[in-house]
Amino acid sequence: MTTQISADQRSADQRAALAQAADRAARTAAALERFGVFIPFVIVAVLGIILAPNFLSAANIGNVLVNAAILAIVAYGMTLVIALRGLDLSVGSIQALSAVVCATAVNQMGILPGIVVGLIVGALVGLVNGVLIAYLKVPAFVATLGTMGIARGAALVFTDGGSVLVENKDFGLFASGKLLGIPYPFLLAIAILAVMYIVLERTPFGRHVCAVGGRPDAASESGINVSRVTVVSFVIVGVCAGLAGLLLTSQLGFVDGTLGTGLELQIIAIAVLGGTSMLGGSGNMPGSLVAAVLLAMIASSLNLLNIPSFYQYLAVGVLLLFALSLDTLRRRIQRNRLMGA
Amino acid sequence: MSTKPPILEVRQITKSYPGVTALKDATLTLRPGEIRALLGENGAGKSTMIKIIGGLQAPTSGELHVNGAPVVFSGSLDSQNAGISVVSQEFRLVPQMTVAENIFLGHELTRGGLISRREQTERARELLDQLGLDISPGRRIDSLTVADQQLVEITRALSRDFQVLIMDEPTAALNEAEVQKLLAMVEKLRDRGAAILYVSHRLPEVLRLASTATVLRDGQVVADISMEGVQEPELVELMLGKALEAESRDSHERGWNPDDAAVLEVTDLRTAGISQPISFGVRPGQILGVAGLVGSGRAELLKAIFGAQRVQSGAVRVGDARVDTSSPAGAIGSGIFMLGEDRKAEGILPHLSVLENTVISEPQRGLFDPRRWVIGRREERKTFGELKEGLRIRVDRPERLIGALSGGNQQKVLFGRAVLTQCRVLLLNEPTRGVDVGAKAEIYQLIRKLAADGVAIVVSSSEAAELAAVSDDCLVLYAGAHLDTLPPELVTEDNIVAASLGQRITHSASLGAASTSEEVAN
Repeated sequence: MTTQISADQRSADQRAALAQAADRAARTAAALERFGVFIPFVIVAVLGIILAPNFLSAANIGNVLVNAAILAIVAYGMTLVIALRGLDLSVGSIQALSAVVCATAVNQMGILPGIVVGLIVGALVGLVNGVLIAYLKVPAFVATLGTMGIARGAALVFTDGGSVLVENKDFGLFASGKLLGIPYPFLLAIAILAVMYIVLERTPFGRHVCAVGGRPDAASESGINVSRVTVVSFVIVGVCAGLAGLLLTSQLGFVDGTLGTGLELQIIAIAVLGGTSMLGGSGNMPGSLVAAVLLAMIASSLNLLNIPSFYQYLAVGVLLLFALSLDTLRRRIQRNRLMGA
Repeated sequence: MSTKPPILEVRQITKSYPGVTALKDATLTLRPGEIRALLGENGAGKSTMIKIIGGLQAPTSGELHVNGAPVVFSGSLDSQNAGISVVSQEFRLVPQMTVAENIFLGHELTRGGLISRREQTERARELLDQLGLDISPGRRIDSLTVADQQLVEITRALSRDFQVLIMDEPTAALNEAEVQKLLAMVEKLRDRGAAILYVSHRLPEVLRLASTATVLRDGQVVADISMEGVQEPELVELMLGKALEAESRDSHERGWNPDDAAVLEVTDLRTAGISQPISFGVRPGQILGVAGLVGSGRAELLKAIFGAQRVQSGAVRVGDARVDTSSPAGAIGSGIFMLGEDRKAEGILPHLSVLENTVISEPQRGLFDPRRWVIGRREERKTFGELKEGLRIRVDRPERLIGALSGGNQQKVLFGRAVLTQCRVLLLNEPTRGVDVGAKAEIYQLIRKLAADGVAIVVSSSEAAELAAVSDDCLVLYAGAHLDTLPPELVTEDNIVAASLGQRITHSASLGAASTSEEVAN
């Protein structure tokens, strides 16, 4: 009898110990997911400050923040569709199409119509993506690869291969204006972050996105309208890319149909670096903002050091692979520790 | 027996797929306060019936009636809205989300459009408490054990408003204590007036709970009976359509030579879930059972030997060679093969055919043998034909997708895979989970046949009856430690159950038995 009691005791103790180990592993993995992006962030920031002249100048910081904001806004949308276990390759093309249409509309109709038209363009391409994926069951990779070509072509056709100069100088204020020293676009990126974070984490829609991305069959059997969730998500990423196109137009004042080429690679790298797993089921919105700033810092450092911009592609590719490895590592830690707990 | 008007009626439902009729003219009624068992071998049409009631599939013909009125379900939501809640056999949980989020998925508790986490957590905790579960609502699903996931799945079904509860193998992953809790819960629900359709291969549970039973065979209802006075053999006979040959233990005769050296040697092994170093050996032709409750480290032990889980210390040897336990590839290279407990996740490749599933682990040929690079269809078919005979796999043609087969047949295909690898050590974890009674006996025969061919076999199972039926000696784990080794003459169901609960058996037994156990342990 006594042996049994002590055995039970031991069992209880060991179960508690196992549960603790599991919790620790879960926390380690969660911390990597949440804060892993700060490792490269700090490294790049320190290297930038040491090596790059004028890295901390007000002009450079402002510039980095505006560029980061434009990247981050697209990355929020990408984070959402990756949580849905999707992908949007057309963001760069949407950005360009939205930019040229907006610039033209601003010239012909004024600022407000320009903004509205630019956003509508983004929403429409997103809608096409969503319908292709949700109803025609085209894989997201293929569907958005198609619209990537179409939107890019449309942007080039629209400008006839040339460029559009924004005549209304006030439009540039959106990108160049500052409040308390912080550029408007960055404030906008923070505001949108708050909205997107709440949408993803605290609304039924956001939870449905994660459910669809985590286990599509479980989601549909829970009564979730998977098609509708998919379409809405792709419209949101389209609008995000459209908004980024507007900001880019405001920043440059001079746009053409080749804008945002290769943007999809950067944006996917940002989302994954930020701690969003390509497996779907979860998304890290704040991480996306931090990773966007990281990428903008890298670009500006290379610029300040007079390193040709081609190296940026290289750096982004390396970062993407780094982030994907980190993602795998994170999952392996969790799996190893949890096994049998 | 309940005499109230039926709440759910399935009227002459037929469901045909191209080439197969899964259900034919099936009729079933369910009344408030009734627990009805739905019985049948795998492939008898139970899953189809559940899918139709759950709104996941539309019947080809026939009608569903709820509260006397005909209904048509075009999705699971319709079924839920009609007051039907389903505990599915395969968990419908999102691994990346928390317990509370999963429980309320699809019907979140919101306040002003936002999810009220506090409310959800509180409600989830209440529901979990009702079942007597100690699971934190904030834990992510992928951090829970399979047993806990099953309990969450059940909790989720209970969180909805329902009049009809469908439970498909709800106890498959649970240990005895949890099963008892669950059965008590089901009885409480019945007393409150819920109508419950209980699907299980575990007949003792069925006998305890159900007042009526519907038995399916080959898609047809062959019996609609009251369970009063019904015994297990009658149910088995109804399911099989014939009496089951008595599954006797063939006189504990060892199929192995005690003078042989152990082919599998495990020394001082520790891994997550096994805190005390474990040592044992298995000889060619020996079938070693591994018993233990959920959480005893049973599944982890096998995974560690197979290299699917990190070995913290100790060594595994096959013959004299030390096995590289860093990955399953190393173990397979040393002649160890494992069939895991979760066939769907670890075993079958559902998008490939039966044939491809069988031959996928066949050993690699020499670098310059053209057959290494180009797969010879004809040769594969020949191999498969032989295996199909030997393993009694029921499939009309090898090109059929493996997902279309019943659980028992899928398991046999996986055994075929093991045979083709020409492994010297075969690890089996829950070899008959989700497999029906008839196929179970066949799988036991297969295990013995492989042992007779000289394979050393380790069988881990949560069913004491299974271990008693198939193993020579039986290793008992308790809370991550090696508690006891039962020699053949002591391997009985009762002993295994008692030992799993922490009682040492060999101490109280004769000295001879104890020394046998030592011998095996070393």
